[in-house]
Amino acid sequence: MAEVQNSNPTILSAADLPTRSRSTEKKQGDHKLGIFAAVPQPADFFSSDSEGDEDLLEEPIDEQEIFDLIKNISDPEHPLSLGELAVVSLPDIFIKPTLPAVPNSPLQTVTVLITPTITHCSLATVIGLGVRVRLEQSLPPRFRVDVRIKEGTHSTGDEVNKQLGDKERVAAALENGALMQVIAKMMETCQ
Amino acid sequence: MSALQTFMLVVEHDKDEAKSIANGVAKDLESKKTTLIGIVQQLGEYINDEDPILRGKAVSFLTAVIKALPPKFLSRQQIQVLTSFFCDRIEDGGAVAGLDTLQRLDRFTNELAAEVAQAIFSHFQDLQSRSQTQRFQVYQLLNELMSSHRDALREMGDTSLVGIVDLMTGEKDPRNLMMVFSIMKVVMMEWDISNHVELLFDSVYNYFPITFRPPPNDPYGITAQDLKGRLQDCIASTRHFAPHSIPALLEKLDSTSPNVKKDALNALIACIKSYDPDTVSRYSITIWEVLKFEILNAQEEFLSDSSLQALHAIAQRLSEGSTSASQDLPLAQYLRPITKECNEQLQEPQQKQAKPAQQILKSLSSASAIAFTVVIKAVVAPIFTVYQEADGIAKQRALLETFSVLFESATQVFGQWTTRGGEFSIENPLHEFKDQFSDVFGQALMGSAKEEISFRVTALKGFLRLSVLRDFFQDNEIGLFVQYLDEILLKETVTGRDDLKREAIAALTEISKHKPRLIMDITFPAFVATLPDESDGSDQTYLATLDILAQISVERDIFETLFRRLYSKFTILLQKEQPGVIAYPRAILVTLLYVMQQRKMDADPSIDLYFEKIVVGLCSSVSASASGAGKNRILNDPTVLDTLGRICNLLVRAISAEKQSQVAQNIYKLFSSTEGFHVAPFASNATSDQARTMVISTYLLAGLSKDCGTKIPYASPDISELLTAVIRQSVLEDLEPTTQLAFLRHLALLVNKFLSKEDLGKAEALFSTIVSVENDTYNPATIRTIFWLSKALILRLAPSTTHVLTSLLRLLSSPDVQTSVSTARGFSILLGEDDVLSAANGASIRLLSKQRVFTTVVPIIAARIREVNVAGSEGLPTTADHIKPAHLAALAGILSTIPTDLVLTELPTLLPLLLQSLDLQNSESVAVRSATLDTLAVIIRDNGVAAIDKCGHVHSLVTRLLRTAEIKADAVNPPRLRADALKCLYLLAVKQVSPETTSHARLPPSISPLLPEKVQVLRSLRFVLDDPKRDVRKAAVDARSAWLRGVDDAPEEDD
Repeated sequence: MAEVQNSNPTILSAADLPTRSRSTEKKQGDHKLGIFAAVPQPADFFSSDSEGDEDLLEEPIDEQEIFDLIKNISDPEHPLSLGELAVVSLPDIFIKPTLPAVPNSPLQTVTVLITPTITHCSLATVIGLGVRVRLEQSLPPRFRVDVRIKEGTHSTGDEVNKQLGDKERVAAALENGALMQVIAKMMETCQ
Repeated sequence: MSALQTFMLVVEHDKDEAKSIANGVAKDLESKKTTLIGIVQQLGEYINDEDPILRGKAVSFLTAVIKALPPKFLSRQQIQVLTSFFCDRIEDGGAVAGLDTLQRLDRFTNELAAEVAQAIFSHFQDLQSRSQTQRFQVYQLLNELMSSHRDALREMGDTSLVGIVDLMTGEKDPRNLMMVFSIMKVVMMEWDISNHVELLFDSVYNYFPITFRPPPNDPYGITAQDLKGRLQDCIASTRHFAPHSIPALLEKLDSTSPNVKKDALNALIACIKSYDPDTVSRYSITIWEVLKFEILNAQEEFLSDSSLQALHAIAQRLSEGSTSASQDLPLAQYLRPITKECNEQLQEPQQKQAKPAQQILKSLSSASAIAFTVVIKAVVAPIFTVYQEADGIAKQRALLETFSVLFESATQVFGQWTTRGGEFSIENPLHEFKDQFSDVFGQALMGSAKEEISFRVTALKGFLRLSVLRDFFQDNEIGLFVQYLDEILLKETVTGRDDLKREAIAALTEISKHKPRLIMDITFPAFVATLPDESDGSDQTYLATLDILAQISVERDIFETLFRRLYSKFTILLQKEQPGVIAYPRAILVTLLYVMQQRKMDADPSIDLYFEKIVVGLCSSVSASASGAGKNRILNDPTVLDTLGRICNLLVRAISAEKQSQVAQNIYKLFSSTEGFHVAPFASNATSDQARTMVISTYLLAGLSKDCGTKIPYASPDISELLTAVIRQSVLEDLEPTTQLAFLRHLALLVNKFLSKEDLGKAEALFSTIVSVENDTYNPATIRTIFWLSKALILRLAPSTTHVLTSLLRLLSSPDVQTSVSTARGFSILLGEDDVLSAANGASIRLLSKQRVFTTVVPIIAARIREVNVAGSEGLPTTADHIKPAHLAALAGILSTIPTDLVLTELPTLLPLLLQSLDLQNSESVAVRSATLDTLAVIIRDNGVAAIDKCGHVHSLVTRLLRTAEIKADAVNPPRLRADALKCLYLLAVKQVSPETTSHARLPPSISPLLPEKVQVLRSLRFVLDDPKRDVRKAAVDARSAWLRGVDDAPEEDD
């Protein structure tokens, strides 16, 4: 790879990245503290698994889930993730109905705004493509993916956006073996 | 024909014959029938022959004869003559071996050694054109001379030095090089090499880096690492090499190959550790300048780690002999540019290179007390300045982390409170900043906004490091920290993540090891004061408090305090007429149980106290409560009794044999003094309160050693009556589950652990009475009893094991649905882990029992299912619909308790059965399918796709997994099942190469058996990505990306 463009970027601590808080998910009754969870309750061993109400509760795809999908993509320059480098961040992810005029339409559009670490980063397009590919692979067909550079964070942002928004050009780029290898490498850390 | 001639004839094809001829001649020599002169003269005819083979054979004859002589036979003069003779003929075959034999003799002198060496040097100019074995022989001779006559060789000085270098130059065979390197190392270390430093250095450095790869199935077993090690020893052997070695090695760091760089760094570290400090000092700054790049712009983590090690080693060497941190020390000069660089990097502590700068400071400061002092003096004040001026919490946090790293070094250098020995003459330089640290970390922990969790956690960890650092804080200063922690735990409410609380508990636990008194004096009173006298169930904060107390009370003194406090709380509760909710007393007992499980109770000096209070005291209260004499119903509650029982069990295991026999006598009457106490097993009309005491009895019984068997009431002379009585109770339908389980375990313990071999027949007879051939309908309670009795027999591999298993299998086909279903579930009991009938409780669990069950049961189940399938497909009146699911459920129960390697042996039989289990779709089969998916996941994880492919079931498996992952109207697939199926799909894609085959190196690239499935899997999973459950979607994303990435036409070449 060519000379590293930004050799010393600012890093967010992984512990500070937004996560889904588990406590809101669980019912209050399940809340067992450390040692009390470890000691087995004398239970009837013959009882079969019962289906709780929880199973019926629907959990729709939200911004946090999108963030979790892309935060672990590695930066092509550094052994760091896009989340740690603040290239992607939770407030810059939006999920909106694609057709607001049709209330029952299941179609949704995910918009992700990318903030390159420096304004002249030539890898912004690659990062954008990486995010796009990851989302297209990981979201159901009813989702439209829109990845753009955040306004004012890149010197040639419009140019890059044009490239990322153009279906034909994206498709052509994905045919490029060398480029796909870079993107595959970026996604190795997604788990 | 003379002996010589015969020898020459046979030597090539019959080694033994040749040897015996030589032995004969040697005998003649000993008995003076012939003379050495005579033998040598005989040779005359051949040794000047033109044919080198002929000459070689003749010389070999002489060598063979000498070898056969006793070691003291040859006189000094004879040795001399022979040596000269061999030296003259050294190029002829056998001569080197002859010299080797001679030099082993006691009478061989140093002068002769020199002569031999000289002969080697002058005659073997062309050594490298000879065969590997010949070269090896020469090196070996030289090596022998080196070890037994080193002085002689050393006295030859440059002659031997140059001679050896000439000899080995060009050597390429790894076996020879191993020897050459070790010879060279001796020369380098012991000869005066001043005239030939470069020559010597180049002679070995030419081999750097070693790129040797052993051929497959290498019989010599020499690895690249062996060669690297010996070469490295040579390079590091003498400081005289430094002007050549260090620049050369640093230059190698420009290489593009990480492996070369790794070797260069390792050699560099070896040099630093071996050269003297003055030499190291001369190159220290040069080395830093080069390694800096490797660390700050790390390509590979291991390179940056090795570079840090090198810097650490330099600091260590330069610290040798220094006692105070003066600025003119070479160490100080070395550290100056480094600390300067780090200080610059730390100006922006959030940037990427600040992390490596931290690591540099860590590895240097941990090198020695002096190095620590120099580093601290250079960096602490500047970091404080940046901290004061920092404009955000994230930045401050990074700085606190840097401090924390330095504290870690301090711990390495000065030790913790619990570290013994190794007092330091140097004062810890951190003392100067003690108050500042205390303020900054205290402020960060307690003074910042409550929701800045990660910042406060960092502060907490730093504060903790300082608190356990030996001789640093005063007790009152640590006490302040303990108060902070108490406050966090008691007063703060958790918002979002509970990281801070978790860390606070961990910190208190850590401090309890170093300063138990502070915990007992500060934390205990504060926490115990918050425990209520009783709880009405509305406020559950006592759970959190007890949880924390349990975690910090593992240390001995603290535990005793905890015990006294909680025991008194518990006994007070027992006296109350209105004791509140039962959960509270139970939680108190759980707390005690938890801590006891963490400790070694048998080594606790206060064990007798605990025994008296709990086992004797509380058990007799239990018996009183059972007969209605309790003030309240705490000790009638099954969950309380279960927990109390577990505590008793732990204690009984730990007490003396004498006390154990006391327990044995009280198994049923539970230390009660009242006459005519209701003995649970024999009570025909016991109240459920009375029957429940069986819970305690069973835990007590489990804790007893086998030797107490005879002391158990009713167990002798004939135990049958007791067994029958227990069974009579356990088959009762209307028992509470806890009580029934206690009876079942009681029965199993008696049969498995206490029944003697001779009495085993009694239990087997009981089994046969219950499970009779005529009867095929049983109620669930009876089936449970049957299974527990079977478990006890099977685990000890009783003679009737096979009979027991076949009887159980027969019940699966019972026309009564209830019987069949209950039996199917029972199979997981047989080998399942149990807390009571366990190895820890001395149950007799034979290693082969699992295998026995597996090999007996699986073929029968497989055959039976086949029968049912055939009957179904032929349209015969199917026996009953429940039989196949019952067999599959029984199989799932067995498999969940069997190790995978055993499962794998029967995979071709099992896999079709597992697939049929996945075909079940109703809600009753969820447990079976879930267990099946677990089994499949383990099989795939450990053995890869190949295992499935070998049985030819990849397609069937993938189809069924996809079906299980979907939500469909006609199938019940709960979320957990869907996620498990997706996990199996994920594992398939990531485990395409089985772990075994990777070691066999290059197999021809083959097409993945998954490839035909790829399109279908990707298409189906696309819709699973829309699952309503988040965890399922996550599993689907992982599975799908694994298939996208991993399933390809040809496996990637890994290099």
